[in-house]
Amino acid sequence: MFVVDDLLINPFVSILEGIHSMAISELYDTTEIRNEIKENRLLYELGERSEAEYERRNDELEDQLEIAREAREQIRGKVEVMR
Amino acid sequence: MSSNRYTYGVIEQGPLDVDVMGVDGQPVETVDYRSLSAVVSEVGTMDPERTDENATAHDEVLRAVLQSNGGRTVIPMRFGMVFKTDTALKNVLRNGRVAFRRSLNDLDGMVELGLKLVTREGATVDRSAVVEDVATRLREVADTESGNDLYSDRLVFNRSYLVDRADQPAFDDTVAAVEAEYGDALHVQYNGPWAPYNFVDIEIGAEGR
Repeated sequence: MFVVDDLLINPFVSILEGIHSMAISELYDTTEIRNEIKENRLLYELGERSEAEYERRNDELEDQLEIAREAREQIRGKVEVMR
Repeated sequence: MSSNRYTYGVIEQGPLDVDVMGVDGQPVETVDYRSLSAVVSEVGTMDPERTDENATAHDEVLRAVLQSNGGRTVIPMRFGMVFKTDTALKNVLRNGRVAFRRSLNDLDGMVELGLKLVTREGATVDRSAVVEDVATRLREVADTESGNDLYSDRLVFNRSYLVDRADQPAFDDTVAAVEAEYGDALHVQYNGPWAPYNFVDIEIGAEGR
């Protein structure tokens, strides 16, 4: 089953993000993890990776992404308190 | 259960009859504002989980809309756009009506098709020569192209094309010719038709929700 690459992780019609939160995003850059998620899916779709291997790797990467996002949220909170 | 509105996309107002269930298995409906309709289903949360099942449901609804009524134009939303009430959603349609109308006109009769070329394990190719050749051929049968990230070292080519439905057979033939020529060294992943995800750029203020 194909899903458009960025459906889950990038906005098409996007919620506006302020410059402030953009700066925080850069501190915890998740690009690398998101690229690996997409590569894993691609290699699975092309039949180079088994379903079991794809799912194992995907779970791992989703966990990493979640940790990075939480770290970002925490920093966001702190910066807003300081403001 | 609160009845928030999960939103898939925006279409020209008119009856919508699609034989597909939305996110969380809910039926697909429309919320109308003047000449626009938002394609929605009810959802019990403001922050639906980003699972493969939900992403697939999101995309299947958009594809069904795309194919309904013998081919309809749809402005897709990203995954996870939820509005608290119909009123909040209608406010967004009202505030964005000029942009939505312009997009519906620009995208009229168009679908998105995607092509990825990925090196087979151990294969080497002259990347720039392949990219130039394939891009030149596809431009002749497409309206607009959009380059996507080469997020993997294995990816040689990753572009989306906005194609008039009438030109899709010619586009198919071109892709087949590309595959015949490069298929030994490259995986050719041709996909679509999609809703035109990569050809819409509308921003909605967060206060609109």
